[in-house]
Amino acid sequence: MRAKLCVILICLSSVLLSGCQTSRKIETASIIENVSISAEDSRVCYTFYILSSDDKPKGIRIPADSFGEARKLAESEYIPNLSLSKLELLLIEDSLSDRALESDIEYISTQPSFSPSAYVALCDRNTLEAFSRTAGGQRLIEEQLTLLKKNDPSVCVNYLSVFNRFASSKTKDFTVGYVTCDGEMKISAKKIEKTKAR
Amino acid sequence: MNKLRFSSKRFLLTLMLCACSVILLQNKDLSPNASFSFNIICMLCGLSVCFLLFVPSLIIKRRTGLDFLTVARVKTPSLRLPTAVFYSLYLIFTAEFFLLPYTDMFAKKYYSGVTPCAVALLLVLTCVYAAVKGVNVITRFGIFLFGFAFVTNALMFGGSLGSLDFSLYGFELSGGSGDFWRDSLYFVTPAFIAVLYACLSGATENFRLRQPVFALIFTGVKFALVLFFIFFSLGDYAGKQEYPTFTLSRAARLGSFGGIESFYLALATMSVFMIISLILCAATKSVKRESDVKYVAVFAAIIFSAHICGTYIDSVKEIFTSTGLFVILTAAAALVPLGYVFTGRKSNARKALRNTDMP
Amino acid sequence: MNNSLSEKLSELKADFADSADLTVRVVTLKSVRNIRAAIVTIEGMCDKEQLSQSVINPLMPYDFGMLDGEQAAQRILSSVTASSDVTTFYTKQELITYITSGFAAVIVDGAETMLAAGVQGYSFRGVSEPESEVVQRGSREGFTEPLRVNMSLIRRRIKNPDLVFEQASVGGESRTQIMLCYLQSRTSPKLLGKLRKRLERCDLDSVLASGYLSEYLEDGKTSRLFSGVGISERPDTVCGKLTEGRIAVIVDGTPAVIIVPRLFVEEFQGVDDYSNRTYYAAFIRLTKYLSFFAAVFLPGLYVALAQFHPEYFPTMILIKTSESLAQTPLPVTLEVLAITFVYEIMKEAGLRIPKSLGHAVGIVGALVIGESAVNAGIISSSTLMVVATAAICSYVTSPLYPPVTMLRFIYIVIGGLCGLWGITLAAAVMIISMCSKTSLGVPYMSSLAPFSLRTMRDVFVRADWKTLSKHVIRVQKFKETEAESVE
Repeated sequence: MRAKLCVILICLSSVLLSGCQTSRKIETASIIENVSISAEDSRVCYTFYILSSDDKPKGIRIPADSFGEARKLAESEYIPNLSLSKLELLLIEDSLSDRALESDIEYISTQPSFSPSAYVALCDRNTLEAFSRTAGGQRLIEEQLTLLKKNDPSVCVNYLSVFNRFASSKTKDFTVGYVTCDGEMKISAKKIEKTKAR
Repeated sequence: MNKLRFSSKRFLLTLMLCACSVILLQNKDLSPNASFSFNIICMLCGLSVCFLLFVPSLIIKRRTGLDFLTVARVKTPSLRLPTAVFYSLYLIFTAEFFLLPYTDMFAKKYYSGVTPCAVALLLVLTCVYAAVKGVNVITRFGIFLFGFAFVTNALMFGGSLGSLDFSLYGFELSGGSGDFWRDSLYFVTPAFIAVLYACLSGATENFRLRQPVFALIFTGVKFALVLFFIFFSLGDYAGKQEYPTFTLSRAARLGSFGGIESFYLALATMSVFMIISLILCAATKSVKRESDVKYVAVFAAIIFSAHICGTYIDSVKEIFTSTGLFVILTAAAALVPLGYVFTGRKSNARKALRNTDMP
Repeated sequence: MNNSLSEKLSELKADFADSADLTVRVVTLKSVRNIRAAIVTIEGMCDKEQLSQSVINPLMPYDFGMLDGEQAAQRILSSVTASSDVTTFYTKQELITYITSGFAAVIVDGAETMLAAGVQGYSFRGVSEPESEVVQRGSREGFTEPLRVNMSLIRRRIKNPDLVFEQASVGGESRTQIMLCYLQSRTSPKLLGKLRKRLERCDLDSVLASGYLSEYLEDGKTSRLFSGVGISERPDTVCGKLTEGRIAVIVDGTPAVIIVPRLFVEEFQGVDDYSNRTYYAAFIRLTKYLSFFAAVFLPGLYVALAQFHPEYFPTMILIKTSESLAQTPLPVTLEVLAITFVYEIMKEAGLRIPKSLGHAVGIVGALVIGESAVNAGIISSSTLMVVATAAICSYVTSPLYPPVTMLRFIYIVIGGLCGLWGITLAAAVMIISMCSKTSLGVPYMSSLAPFSLRTMRDVFVRADWKTLSKHVIRVQKFKETEAESVE
């Protein structure tokens, strides 16, 4: 009996010491669904879209020099309990594609919480504005990216393939999805030259 | 419970699952310059060595029907203490070799913020429970684990099929002699199951030589499949991540169904649980004939203490997770039975054992 | 006992402490020696009409002539009584056993031999369909309380001399009659020996239900969650088990018959499986296994995901769940625990209260506690749905309800404290515990672990009868390979 009590005490204390009490509870966690990288007033702005059922997407803009810095700022000041595990779409403004591919994609590759199957696409400014105004943009872009991939298998639509194409020494260029918005969102393939990006 | 004799086939299935944990917990152990085909060749060489290390204990089992520890105890009573000390230390080392990467992976990749030692403590406590129940019960558990491993692997591989990319990575052979030695050495690590076999095979029956051969072949197939998907599905991304098999499970998606890493973590947890439980059984057997709660608890306490040292002292961790040292010690532990193979002729081995007081 | 009638009667009366239900009728037989005899019964245990017709009426006018007491007793046995069931006995202990079982004892003055005539006539519940094991296509008969009726229900289904009923009694005070029932050619003698030994070890004062005995028949500790002793109220189920080499223990006074050894996979086999089409039987089996897993793990997994890994929820479910949980005051673990506990209270109340009030409890539970609590924001709708699903699933395998309920609570707590990892570890411990369990030396998880491919045809699926009838799987098959020296 004494041994059993000891085992129970050890188990309880180890559970309390294990750090489980710092868990992200579903109601308090800020689960990020989409991230967009845009250029605003000569600064790079990272917008984290929190998962919600509201009609208008809940995006928090954080000006920063890199994705890593933006994340740290978000966690410490803007979005407590931030979770990137459910990130589904990473939108990069066309003008920032070289910079994002060079530094941010590299940073993300070292992050264990980031899902490598998240969609990645380039876009123009109008798309980002439309994306921040109305809900449902993410599903629309994902559907179009899937269709684009089906028509042209060489297009890289998710983070894993973008990273591998970018990192590989065998290819000089690769194509990614490019979303434009002129009243409605349209998608096309865009070639990226690695030498230029680097 | 320990007096029961159970199927040798089931025991080798359990050992095969233990061997598969090596690739499950892999952490940048393979050379980054070596290609897939090159690694397959290294794997074939490594697993062949594993089989060679299996041979002495297989011969002893075939001749006497007993495990090596019992044979050694009967044949050389004067060497009982050094044998017990050596095997106990080796088995504790083996436990750390798996426990440290596991808790490290858990804390770094799955749930940051957790205290690795608390995870290890809970795991070791549950292992004590399993070890007290005996090898027979653990091998029964192995059947369920086999089923779960099958489902998990099917999900991991099936979910990675969509991201296979043969245009970037090919089947060419690339790698130098240094890479060959490094990777081959890594693929010898599953040989620890030969030592477990040597320690625990006494309670098994219906032994056939093809059983360890099949166990190693299936281990090889699992290794090859994991490597294939890591190379062709994850590609360069795997090199950026610690624990690429974990990343493989994270990247796998079946339609909108993700979160396969939970299955992976459950599989890794149960595999490590089974290895440490078997190790506790073997360690107890190395010092005592019958399973004893007190001995199991003492060994569990030693393993946990060693884990604390390994977690907080980097140099200790390096020693415990050194593949080279592990392979050398495994080879030594697996080859000790060879001495007993040559000391007695086959014809009089049974007779000698029959005349002695056996447990 | 002394041969004197008056001494025998006074001893008996002393033993019964002049109990009001002990009925003694002393008569003088028609004979030269005026021999006295007594008919001893227990009030309410025998049929008075039958007693008159088969014992008293033939006895009174019969002329015993010159016969002495012993000879008169032998004559009664051979020529006088009209009862079909008459036996002789000699001791006071036997006398007590017979009269308390509803026999009429005939004691003749000066005779050592005493007679017991079967005139049992106590009232009992008739054979009816058991409520706990309802089937669609099988027999509607269920066991009832009297031992002999239950024996006849089995014998009617197995008309084979190989079927053996072996009588014994347990309980120091109650002296309850029990009957071991088995097919001699199919049951392992070792298994039978082991069972007899365990019954001998039973030191209970009274055995009022089969559940009293089941703990004595368990291997190892009885504190384990899963039971290695099966219980059935259906004669067809028991007969099916007997043909597989199992042993049934019928306890007098209870319709629940004990079956040993009991395996885990049997909990998922039903009588209807063998009447339905094979594909449908397989579907039902798989549904049962899934329900078992859902009943045990669903609330725990829900808590673990909500607490530690919300990203694993599909997006739409995640949004709805997080919104509904955000409006409730309790943390998700406590909320699930509380609802599960309240559900158990309502279940117990529903079982105990009169049937007419049962509906009221159902309405109060469903509407007031459920819907109102959700509307008031005290509990979340998703939590309520998860708990309700698990509760319904637990009834699919009703014999496993007690362990499933306990495990559900354990997994909720572990899921809330340690997440999916904790659940994995607890599941490993549970499997180890189940794998180490044996039932009369047969591994409880037989068919699965130790694995037997041949028996798989009646585990997750049910093969057709042509295949099943070719190889009858006897339970000792597992034992021979595995558990010779368990104890």
